[in-house]
Parts: sequence; C-alpha cells; structure tokens
Amino acid sequence: MKLTKIAAVAAASAVALTALAACGGSSDGDKAEGGSDTVTLWLAGKEDTPKKVEDWLVKEFAAQHKGKNLKVQHIDWGELIPRLNTALQSDKTPDVVEVGNTQAATFTSVGAFTDLTDKLDQLGDNIGPKSFVEAGTYDGKVSAVPYYWGSRYIFYSKKAFKDAGIEIPTTLAGFNDAAVKLKADGGDKYSGFWLPGQDWRNGISWIFANGGDIAKQEDGKWVATLSSPESVKGLTELQGLYEKATTAPKDGKDAEPWTAFNNGEAAMFMAPSWARWSVDKKKAADLGGFALPGTEGGAAPVFAGGSNLGISAKSKNQDLSFDLLKLIYSDEFQQQLAKNGLGPANDTFTGLMGDDEFAKAAVAAASNSKLTPASPEWASVESASIMEEFFGKIASGGDVAAAAKATDDKLNAALNK
Amino acid sequence: MSSTRLRRKAGPYALLVPATLVLFVGMAYPLGRQLMLSFHEFGRAQQFGQPAPWVGLDNYRELVTDRTMWTVIARSLAFCFVNASITMVLGTLIAVLMKRVATAPRLILQISMLLAWAMPVIAAMTAWQWLFDTRYGLVNWSLRKLGFASFDGHNWLIDPLSFFFVASVIIIWMSVPFVAFTAYAALTQVSEETLEASHLDGATATQRFRHIVYPTIKPVLTIVALLQIVWDLRVFAQINFLQNVGGTPSETHLLGTYIYSLGIGQNDYGSASAMAMFVLVLTLVLTVRYVWSLLKEEPR
Repeated sequence: MKLTKIAAVAAASAVALTALAACGGSSDGDKAEGGSDTVTLWLAGKEDTPKKVEDWLVKEFAAQHKGKNLKVQHIDWGELIPRLNTALQSDKTPDVVEVGNTQAATFTSVGAFTDLTDKLDQLGDNIGPKSFVEAGTYDGKVSAVPYYWGSRYIFYSKKAFKDAGIEIPTTLAGFNDAAVKLKADGGDKYSGFWLPGQDWRNGISWIFANGGDIAKQEDGKWVATLSSPESVKGLTELQGLYEKATTAPKDGKDAEPWTAFNNGEAAMFMAPSWARWSVDKKKAADLGGFALPGTEGGAAPVFAGGSNLGISAKSKNQDLSFDLLKLIYSDEFQQQLAKNGLGPANDTFTGLMGDDEFAKAAVAAASNSKLTPASPEWASVESASIMEEFFGKIASGGDVAAAAKATDDKLNAALNK
Repeated sequence: MSSTRLRRKAGPYALLVPATLVLFVGMAYPLGRQLMLSFHEFGRAQQFGQPAPWVGLDNYRELVTDRTMWTVIARSLAFCFVNASITMVLGTLIAVLMKRVATAPRLILQISMLLAWAMPVIAAMTAWQWLFDTRYGLVNWSLRKLGFASFDGHNWLIDPLSFFFVASVIIIWMSVPFVAFTAYAALTQVSEETLEASHLDGATATQRFRHIVYPTIKPVLTIVALLQIVWDLRVFAQINFLQNVGGTPSETHLLGTYIYSLGIGQNDYGSASAMAMFVLVLTLVLTVRYVWSLLKEEPR
C-alpha cells in the first residue's frame, strides 16, 4: 500500500523535524563548554557593556590567571529572567551574571547567588550607590553587588531647539509644552519627544515627578498606587504627550530610542547615559543633554537604571568568580566604566564621567532617582509585561483612571503572591 | 526448531525496544513529572531547593475558575481552526496546481516553497516584523502608495484581531509548503488508467475528483490535517516573537505562550503544568477522530 507508506514517511519526517526543532531549542540554552578552566560571565544586552571594556576584561583576566580564561555571553534583556530562572539552578550555571537592579531581589530571595557579605571589603571601601547595594541585599545578606548605574535623561537636538526658539526647559510643564511645540513645528512625521507607548521605564518619570509611585509597602503588604491622584495626574500629562508630542508606535518599547533621532525624525528622546554613543557621529555636534526637570524645577525623579552582579551559588568556580568581581572592582576597570558614561560602583571615579553637559545631566538625574518596588515578585511583573501593557493603554488614549485601577489590581495580585 | 520459532517471535519485539525506550524517556518521564508538578505548589523558591508542598487539585481549581484560561482556550481553538483550514485548502489547491502546470513553473513553485519552508523561524520572523513595521514597514508603504492613506503609520499589532491576522499570514505562509508537497506526492499516486477509463465512461471533472482522486489521497490529507491541528494548537515561537515586538501579551496569549508566561515567566510551574495537562486532553479530544479514521485505513 504505497499511500500509507507516503503518509507514514510524511508523518515520521514531521515528527523527526519537530524533535530536531526541540533539540535546537534546548541546546541553545546550554553552554558550549563548561570546565573549571573557564569562568562564564553573562552580560545583559548586546552592548550595554561597551565592547572594548569587555575585551579588556577578558584579556586582563587571562593575563592574571595562567591557564584560565573568561568567557562572556550576551543575553538579551527580554529573555534574561527566564534564562536565569532555568540556568542558575542547573549544573551548567553561568558563574557570574549581570541582572537589572530591580531584578536582583528575585534571585537573592531564593539564595541563587553566593552570599558575599563577609567579602565585601575585599571589593573596596566605598561600594555604591547605596540603593544598589540594598537592591542586592536580602535578609541582611549582600549577594548581588552594584555593577554600574546610569540614569535617564533627555537628549535633544540643539538645532531643533534653536529653530523653534526654545530654551532648555526648567520645569516639567515647560518640558511638556516644548515637546508639543517641537512636534507642531516639525510636522506629521516628526516627534517633538520620542516616546514609544510601552516604554514605561521612561514614562514612569511623569508619575514620580508628580509625587506618585508604582506601589508602597503597608503592614508587610504591597499596595499598588498607580490610581492615586498624584499618579493619575502624571499619567494624564503623559497621555497629552503621547497624543501631541510623539509619532512613536503606541506599542513600541524602550529599545533603540535613538533611531528616530538619527533619522532626523525626533527632536528629543529619553534614555540612559550610554545611549549617547549610539547617536550617529554626524549628529554628535547637534546633540545635547539635560536632566528631565521636576514640577517645581530641579531634576525630576527618574527611574534609576543599572545592574548588579552576582555569583551563582551553584557555580563550581567560586574563587575564580570572586577574582573576576575583584577585577571588575579594580581601579582600572572602574575608570573605564566611568569614561564610557557608565556610573562606576566606586564613586571615586564618578568625576571621570566628564564635566560636560552629559555628565552633569547624568549626575543631576541620578541625584533624584528611584527604583521599582523591592519585591521578589517584581520580576514576574516584568515578565508578564504588566507595566508595558498599562502604558500602552494610556498611549492608545484609554481612560487613565480606569486603566490605572485595573493595573493596580493586577499589581496587588502579582506582588503579594 | 522451537528455538528458531522463539527467535522469530522475539525478533520483532526486540526491534521495538529502542523505539519504546525513546518514547519512554522522551514522553513518559516528562509527562509523569508534569502530572506530579501539577499537584504541587512549585515556584521559584522550589526551583532553588525548597520542598514543594502538595496542593492536590488546587492548581486545577484556580485555572478552571479563572476566566483567562477559558478565553485562552477559546482563542486557541478559533486560531487553530482558521489556520489549519486555510493551510489545508491552500496547500491542496497548490498541489493540484503543481500537477497541472508545466515543469518549469512547477520547479519555480517548488523551490520557492521549499525555501519558505526551510527558513529558520526566527530569521523569517525578523523579516516579517520588518515588513509590518509601523514606521518603516514595506506593507504600510505599499498600501500607502496604493492610495490607502490611513495606513500611514498604521500599527498592525496593537489590536488583538489585527495581531492574529499578521500571525496567521506568517504561520500559513510557513505551513502551506509542507501540505502542498505531501498532497502533491499523493496526487502522483492517483492511477492515470482509472482516471482515463472514467473519463471515457463520461465522468465529469468534479466527479473524477470526488470519486477517484479524493479517496486516493484522503489518508494522506487526513494525517497532514492531524499534524496541522496539533501544530497550530501549540504554536509558540511566532506568537511569542510578535508579543515581544509589540501588541498586548495578555490579550494575545494562545495556549503555548500562556503556559510559558505562567511557568517560565512567572515561575508558577504548578499552574503551568496543570494548564499543560488541559492542553494534552484538548489535543486528544480534537484529534481522536482523525487517529481513529487512520487506524481504520490500516490494512489488517
């Protein structure tokens, strides 16, 4: 019976292909080569740690440790949490990993990282920023140490400001007006302020600036406060910007906000300090920076960006891994971080970030920065895209109060699990 | 004498051992573990070594009383039905077309379909994402040039229905070649003599298709349809990719992405396992008729 045969072969090959696909899927999570001669470092993002800084680290580590070497693997921010969830408890764990500061609690709370409390002084006397050390502390044990910090500030086109006759705004209301005016001058395709709808990490600044917050702790429970009058005020301002100041996609996220600027389609965008190096070289002279102003002047509280480092508790290379941390905390490496616009953990070198407008904007923005709720469950909020969806709704013109209330319910459920 | 017979008897069974072993390691163990997990509370703490408390049917109870699950199931069934049907119809039509056209156009058709089918999913998805990009996408650009001004900066992913339209286009594009090739292979087996004889007896083209061609290729179509249903029901990579670039994940979850978001995303492995058990049952219910009709076709 020929046909049954064809059918059988078709089915068998289909099953085989499915199986192959499954193999491909799982093996890419594995490491190619383990072995105790190699220390594996997981860095988040493609080039959040600049390539040459990373190269220096690899070279220097090999030079200091004969016969040993350092292998760096880059994990996209979007898949970092799921990958760490599975990798950190497997036998093929990476040795040292970078996590976002707000994600650290997820892993410190379950003992996924080695306790470093007793060894902290070996890394340096003034490890900071304080909020980052706290983010890496659980039950009084420090197990994730600060890697670098950055703060979000506004990048702008000097030419666009000059053409529109606008000065650098000193209050948040002034900033909002400027963004709307720049958009009106620039036309349909032009963004006064590039603000993708689901980019909550930047959008949250408007909530913070108006005195609102994501959630606060009451009697050991988290209570979401996105529907508080202060938060709603900020969100309403933000909705005005989505409507009148930007052409960014309503479901866009915070990836590569400089693209529109490089294409001459946006006058301003908001990003962490290292975004500066992604702006087209031809545009460098036109690029300026300032901290997002607060409602009453000064710098608005913005979301503190940055990362922590932890040593996997399952790593078989504990000593070598700590050596790597020491190398990262060495003066030389800290200086390189600072020179590249990344806030160094050792604040002796903060000055090296420069004294131009960018460095000033970074330091001003950092002076007033905030973190997300320090709940171990926050990472679940991030992987469920709760905040992305919420800001997307606001950007699409949804009812602010209703959306805020609905999201508060989701946050309360997720944070108090 | 008797030992030869025994060997003859044992031989075929011995040959089954490797396959059974593979099935056991690959299917039975994970399935058993999944079943166990679904009765436990298993979260991040358990993953990192805490004991997992037995919660009986709690995970199931939570899911059944949560409207989300039913919405996701309904959405998945609708998505699966639409995609599998369109894929089957298109695939069969293309197979018939391949049978009719001359060699050169057939080869071109076959090669282009083979390329579409062989394309790695993520690479293809990246290209599709660019095609449907809000600002710089070719689709919006073309529609605009054709006079549809409203597609300037049109967002394809933000509305769930439109999201699934894009997803369907991509998934059908990826699955039609397999159906077309298999159906084409089956079509080549249709006996020319019978067709010619029926032609001489005055059967119309429709009659020939219904009474000769279709019965001959039916077993193949059945098994392909079966695979298609299974694939479209557990579609994951394409949806997950689109959710990452835009859209509203909570409104676009299908079974696969929902389980992923429960388990890997939110570390609720107990609920995710319970949900996966539902999907297993659902798949069985959906496909039992096909499997049954396949078994009936088997020569005894």
